Amino acid sequence: MFLEKLFSHGKKEREVIHDISRHIELLSAACKTFRHGLEKHDRNLMQEVATLERYGDAVRREVISHIYEGAFLPYLRTDLCGFVEIVDQVFEMLKDIATLFLRSPLPEKIERQCCMVALLNQRVSEMLLLTFKAMSNGEDIREKTLAVRIYEKKVDDIKYDLLESLQDVPVDNFWKGRMLADFVSGLTRISDIIEDATDALQIINVMTR
Amino acid sequence: MWTISSGLFLGWSLGANDSANVFGTGVATGIVKYRTAIVLTSIFVMLGALLEGAKCIDTLTDLYRLIPLEAFICALAAALTMTGLTFLAVPASTSQAVVGAIIGAGVLSGSAHFSSLYKIVACWVFTPVSALVLGYLCHRGLGFIVEHTIRNITHRNLFNSLGILAAGCYGAYCLGSNNVANVTGMYVGAGLVSPLAAAFIGGASISLGVLTYSKKVMMTVGKGIVPLDPFSALTAVLAQAGTLHLFTQIGVPVSSSQAIVGAVVGVGLVADAQTISMRMLLRICIGWLATPTAAGFLAFVPLWIISFL
Repeated sequence: MFLEKLFSHGKKEREVIHDISRHIELLSAACKTFRHGLEKHDRNLMQEVATLERYGDAVRREVISHIYEGAFLPYLRTDLCGFVEIVDQVFEMLKDIATLFLRSPLPEKIERQCCMVALLNQRVSEMLLLTFKAMSNGEDIREKTLAVRIYEKKVDDIKYDLLESLQDVPVDNFWKGRMLADFVSGLTRISDIIEDATDALQIINVMTR
Repeated sequence: MWTISSGLFLGWSLGANDSANVFGTGVATGIVKYRTAIVLTSIFVMLGALLEGAKCIDTLTDLYRLIPLEAFICALAAALTMTGLTFLAVPASTSQAVVGAIIGAGVLSGSAHFSSLYKIVACWVFTPVSALVLGYLCHRGLGFIVEHTIRNITHRNLFNSLGILAAGCYGAYCLGSNNVANVTGMYVGAGLVSPLAAAFIGGASISLGVLTYSKKVMMTVGKGIVPLDPFSALTAVLAQAGTLHLFTQIGVPVSSSQAIVGAVVGVGLVADAQTISMRMLLRICIGWLATPTAAGFLAFVPLWIISFL
């Protein structure tokens, strides 16, 4: 095992780092696709989000199997897998709200605010990628995690405005209202989960110091 | 030659108990597989015994010149004490068991050299202290170097994996070189074997103990004292091995258990004194006191009975 580690120069670990980066890149791509779909009312782009989620799921399975095949020391494995699972939660959330969008069109009154949140979600996912790359290179990630928190705070501020605007939106029936509420809730929750992911990265970073 | 059998038993017991001090933290934190750890330990213990084992043998022979029967009983008393403490999962000191037994025999005959005992006891006191200081310094110094040179997470992972392995092998080498005197040193004094043969026999019996009965104490040492991360485990083993190597050069067999406990405490102090389990440390301290007393008593009683026959 050790000789293998020595002569491979941490090949398994590099594969895991590469795959996690790919996982987050896919997440950023999914956030971007979602934003464009929302802005252009493009149903094809929204369907594309589900496809990207499936790719992300495949990468997540690869990462976890590589980790449990022996990449990284055991004390790090649980936290690395935990991080990947948190990123997967974002994918799930994104797919859910894309599906909700396809089933129930967005009221005009809240569209601008939703597009703004989608843009911030894209930015925060890109920042997550930068944070992960910085952590894997052993750089300081405090500034990047702070940036993620600032984005999250901006989304939080818009969330309360959105909730206020929602009160004036007429709904045809309970289920339409429920779907709209779920959409807004999911959309504003994404940055929150990404913030959890950066917290997980911060813990991994401290553990490897 | 039957008198050597108790020494083999003692060596086996030492291997079962003290291999925990070398790879215990690595195995308990899941960095090294138990099987890998015991194979490497047995190989490097043998190497250490053969290359540097003779350095500590003279000190024990100076303490009291045993006759073959006394050597047999002393080794048996020390082995029984160590087996009992291993069974109770207490990381005990073979050096103290052996010296306790020799002093037990020496007191009965009234010819123990207490002047040599002072040197040994002083080294016992300095063992955990120097390991503590070395553990603290190793963690601080090596930590600083690693922090500024190995930044990439993959490289650091590789460094920790290989570091634990290298420190473990070095620790096993130092264990063999320092502690083989405890196992067969008294037979050299009794004129039963040459120093080289004593080193070979001692090394082989320690290796056997490592391979057959070391898992229980290994887990106690690794998990019971302080929750260690890989780098701390590495520096603790390095500090323990360094301490043992230092005392090998002085020629005094010391306790690897005391050294690893001191090193782990030193490493724990870098993070936070609160992380150290005082209950476990107290249990180990009780083992330290009980070991020479029990071994001395177990050597004294049969020799006293034999003296009437």
